[in-house]
Formats: sequence, structure tokens, C-alpha cells
Amino acid sequence: MHELSIAATVVEDVLGFAEARGIGKVVCVRLAIGELTCVQTEQLKFCYESVTRETALADSQLDIESVPACVKCANCNYEGPPKYWMDSLSEAPVPTLQCPECGKATEAARGHECAIKSIQYAA
Amino acid sequence: MINTQPMTPVIEAKPEEIYDIELEHSLLEANAKIARANRALLDEHGITAVDIMGAIGSGKTTLIGRLVERLKIKCGIAVFNGDATVAADTELIASQGVPVVQIATVNGCHLDANLVGKALKSVKLTSLDLILIENIGNLICPAEFPLGSRSRMVVVSVTEGPWMVKKHPHMFLGADLVVINKTDLAEVMSVRVEQLVNDVHTLKPDLRVIPASCKTGAGLDEIAALLAPEKAAANA
Repeated sequence: MHELSIAATVVEDVLGFAEARGIGKVVCVRLAIGELTCVQTEQLKFCYESVTRETALADSQLDIESVPACVKCANCNYEGPPKYWMDSLSEAPVPTLQCPECGKATEAARGHECAIKSIQYAA
Repeated sequence: MINTQPMTPVIEAKPEEIYDIELEHSLLEANAKIARANRALLDEHGITAVDIMGAIGSGKTTLIGRLVERLKIKCGIAVFNGDATVAADTELIASQGVPVVQIATVNGCHLDANLVGKALKSVKLTSLDLILIENIGNLICPAEFPLGSRSRMVVVSVTEGPWMVKKHPHMFLGADLVVINKTDLAEVMSVRVEQLVNDVHTLKPDLRVIPASCKTGAGLDEIAALLAPEKAAANA
């Protein structure tokens, strides 16, 4: 449940921003979560609800945008979506770091995001 | 941008009174920053730290014990032992006469850079070349929290069944070395070690995988050789 520590960080940081900028009511917090992180959206929402209770963020909404992975291959210069691992046992396709073109190891250029993208507030 | 998902029951401000601030603020940055500081401190002392991750019961502690046996004569070694509450593992390794720091996360499911930073303050860095950091037994949560180590090693054992790699892809995508442990039990468990190796390579083709057994000693010298720091390569 690292989602709990992430939710706690969201609350701490948003409350900090709100105070620093004199924002009264935060209506919505938007997060960007990369496909290559192991952050579960539903768990994060649940944790957010729990940790915002009795804070100034209590009625705020949490929107989570998923950031698709992008990989770069140093061998064949491929740049784009990763190769997915899918077989009869798979519940969902698993992103890999294998190059979809040449099969060599790639580096993830995108997909590790775990960030507050924006906050929406009422003046 | 106006919020298009009308899920929240009561929002009192009217749309024209709602404002957006773009932040692009990383939630993992606080940990990452401390991890970089840890790394800088380690580099300054020419110390290699290895973050050892794996499920509960994968054999991390036993493996660390075997590696300490092999490495303590060659270099200054310390072990940081992340455990939610129990100190039994710490004592087991401390009996080998190397400095051991227990990092109790209480209910935390992963170590973080801050805890490791505190542990670094409690050992004599000038007498060390290698720190083995045993993370909390968990194959998911530690993935997002770098500690400042030079490399990350994942220990997976055949007793965890044939699907462990596939079930926990993130841990392997971020690893630098994988140990497949308890290979002496592969036959009893009807688990094919080659299959686990293939699974790792499906996820990350260039990842080094070493099948090992703490019982027979297979693979242990190879792992120890990889971890043994090259003193000549100490940072400028």
C-alpha cells in the first residue's frame, strides 16, 4: 500500500501550495500517473478519500490521468509504445522493456510519472 | 479547463469562479532528492550500496548472510536490515561480526531514502566499501522508492511458484540483477528455472540473472564477485 504514502504526499503538498498562494477551496486535484509505475488508481483514490477526511481537501475530487509508456531503443532507434507481454495467463497486457522492433533492451522515456499535474480551486 | 467529471456531490463555486494552476509537481521527488543525497555521500566515501528486494520468504536474509561470509574478508561491509518490526534477522547477520543496522518501518511496506539516510549516519562510513540494504519483503511497493543505492537486486525463489516474475513486472523492470534462489528445490516445486530466466528476459532482455542456492552454494560466488566493489574504481 505505497498508495497511502503517495496520497499523504499529495495532501501535504496541495495544502502547502494552497496556503502559499492564498487559495481558499481546492475543488479538484489532477494527478498524472505513468503506466510503468505500480500505483493502483483505485487504491490511490480510496487512500486519498481517507487521508483528506477532516482536512481542507475533504470534499475535493481526485482526477487521475494515466500516462502511456514510451520506450527508446539505443540499438535500432525505435521510439514509441513498449512491447506488451500477453499470453493466455495474462489478465492484462504487461508492458516490457523489450524493443518491439529488434528485441533488444530499451530505456523508458515516459511512463514513470507520478505527479500533481494541476489543481483546480475556487477563488 | 473546466472539470468535466461531475462526480463530486457538492461544489459551491460556479464554473466561472474556478481556476486552474498547472503544477507538474513530482510526488516522488522528495524521496528521489534524499536518494541523490545518499548516493552522493556513498560516492564520496567510495561505498557501493546494493538495494536487495524480494518477497517475504524469498531468502533475502539467508542470501545476504552467505554473501557476507564471502565478502567480509575482502572488504568493509555493513548490512541495513529493513524489517517491519522483528529484529531476529538483524541478530543473525550481526553474529558474523559485521555492522548491522535494523531499519524498522513499523507498518511501512517499503524502505525509503530518508530511513536509509538516517541509517547511513549510524555507521562508520570511512571503514566501509559495501552496504547491502535488505528492503522490506514485498515485490511491489519498493519499486517506486529509490534509496540511493548503486544497483538494485531482486531475489525471487522457485518456492514462490512459476509466475512470480510475470506477476510483479515492475520490480524486474527497475532491477540491475536478479537472483533466482532455492534452485535446489526447483524439481520438488515443479518450477523450471529456465522459464523464470526467460520471463525476466521477456521483461528486460539485458538483465543479468543468476540462479542460486544457499543450500548447495550454487551461484553464490558469482553473485559475490559481482557485488564486490572494485576499490580502484572509487569516485574521484
